[in-house]
Amino acid sequence: MSVEPLWSENLRKTYTVKGMPPVEALAGVSMNVHPGERVALLGRNGAGKTTFLRIASTLLRPSSGQIRVFGHDVSEHPERARPYIAVVPQEGKPFFHLPPREMIYTYLRARGLSRETSQSRTEEAIERMGLAEFADRLCITLSGGQRQRTMVATVIATQAPLLFLDEPTIGMDPFARREVWASLRDLTAKGSTILLTTHYLDEAEALSHRLYIVERGQVIVSGTSDDLKRSVGGTLKVSLPQGATEVESFRSFGEVVADGESLTIIVHPERLGELMELAVRRRLTATVGPVTLEEAFLRVVGRKIDED
Amino acid sequence: MRTDPPATPIRQSRPFGGTTAFLWTEVLVQAHESLAMATSMVTQTVLLVFVYILNPGLIGVALIGAVLFSAFTLGQRVLNEAAYIRIDHKANDLYLAGPMTPEGYFLGIAGGILVVYFAPIALLGTLAVLVAHLSLTTSLALLGLAGLVWLFAASIGYIFSTFFRDNRAIWAYASLFFNVFGVLPPVFYPLGFFPVALRPVALLMPPSAAAALLQSQIGATTLSTGQTELALFGLIAETVLVFLCAIYWARRTVRGP
Repeated sequence: MSVEPLWSENLRKTYTVKGMPPVEALAGVSMNVHPGERVALLGRNGAGKTTFLRIASTLLRPSSGQIRVFGHDVSEHPERARPYIAVVPQEGKPFFHLPPREMIYTYLRARGLSRETSQSRTEEAIERMGLAEFADRLCITLSGGQRQRTMVATVIATQAPLLFLDEPTIGMDPFARREVWASLRDLTAKGSTILLTTHYLDEAEALSHRLYIVERGQVIVSGTSDDLKRSVGGTLKVSLPQGATEVESFRSFGEVVADGESLTIIVHPERLGELMELAVRRRLTATVGPVTLEEAFLRVVGRKIDED
Repeated sequence: MRTDPPATPIRQSRPFGGTTAFLWTEVLVQAHESLAMATSMVTQTVLLVFVYILNPGLIGVALIGAVLFSAFTLGQRVLNEAAYIRIDHKANDLYLAGPMTPEGYFLGIAGGILVVYFAPIALLGTLAVLVAHLSLTTSLALLGLAGLVWLFAASIGYIFSTFFRDNRAIWAYASLFFNVFGVLPPVFYPLGFFPVALRPVALLMPPSAAAALLQSQIGATTLSTGQTELALFGLIAETVLVFLCAIYWARRTVRGP
């Protein structure tokens, strides 16, 4: 039996609504998340990320396949998996008539933690997540980003062995997002494991050890963000603002994308010099930069859409 | 990355785990709407005024009915709250994907609402004891029967809450159910005023069954032995059945209805 924090094999989920054609949200997802890892689940809207997260967090039944949390079968015995997990639900909100401090404390108590532990973890989470300034104001008076921080702080305070975070930093400012990242890194350093979904690709890159890209209910790529970048044919991106007319000349260097007058080429570092020489001969201005995860994501998912 | 097991202590879910803590959460949440405690008494007060004007001699019966009606309509508050938490806040996911038990979650909501709205019900109960000159035994019977009616209504309310996807639909249907079954049957008036053919139905409906039993205690209604047994055992059986269904349903609907 697998004792990985999270393990799934050929997990499928089909939604059926009377009078409507069935929708296959997951079409055989296999995944393995190791202890202490932070893993990001990426994909377009409706790709199946939240469905997977809901099944893994015992909130939805799979149609078929296997999924285990610390060796416990989530399909058959969700109650055995629940003590190990905590989840930030997508679009979840704290109770409006509680201040963040009470929200976190009462939540920890409801999970069965002692008064003393709940108290100390509440204060720790407030401090860690920068909530001190508004910790005693009712959540209804807080901004959307502050409410979201409260939700994340509530779940982080559990220090659960496995955390599921569905778009945890949505609506947060860049400073708050970095505070969340730091807290999540601390948690995994203490032994927790994290699976998160996000549409912020910089977040996925900064935070995750590994990532899975899901498209139409299937994992199409998995690995590190560098693996993903390499999979698109290079780790450097050369932009030629006036290069669109020279598409054929540059095609041999790697993937080329013409957009209006400009041309972008994904290239391996070892062929950069050769490419730049050609650009100079053609009297083209060129800028070089690293391929971002977002660009790699767009290409990988775009290819899959084209294939389908 | 660490590869050793997490140091966090793991609490296994135990039956009804988390009930008290979530009940307290609900009390804190509900207590911020203090005006709601007063407005929860509006329907009962209006009906009591009508009864007092039309037949002051029935005010004792109506006060007992008001206590039972209040306990019954707490089920509507459970329905509204459970649906609101789930639909608007998605906080059910936050609580249920963890060691807290689904039955603890259901009973936390129901118990929290009972605690917050208990004071006005206790006030009505005190008035009923004083005005209808209830003996200690009948007063305890009122407390016990109101408790059964509350448990029945809270269980029904929680089960119903899981069927709605939109709060607007709840506004339309919830008050209909609880007001119709709390007002139309002989809750505020003696069973003897109710059509003979429909009396068995009234004796099978929790609020009116409890009312009929209490009315017979104060001499406002005469129940045969069979009717007393029907009302009492029917009420107990229905309450236990619906409560067990609510627990089963609470566990089942963690992963969708």
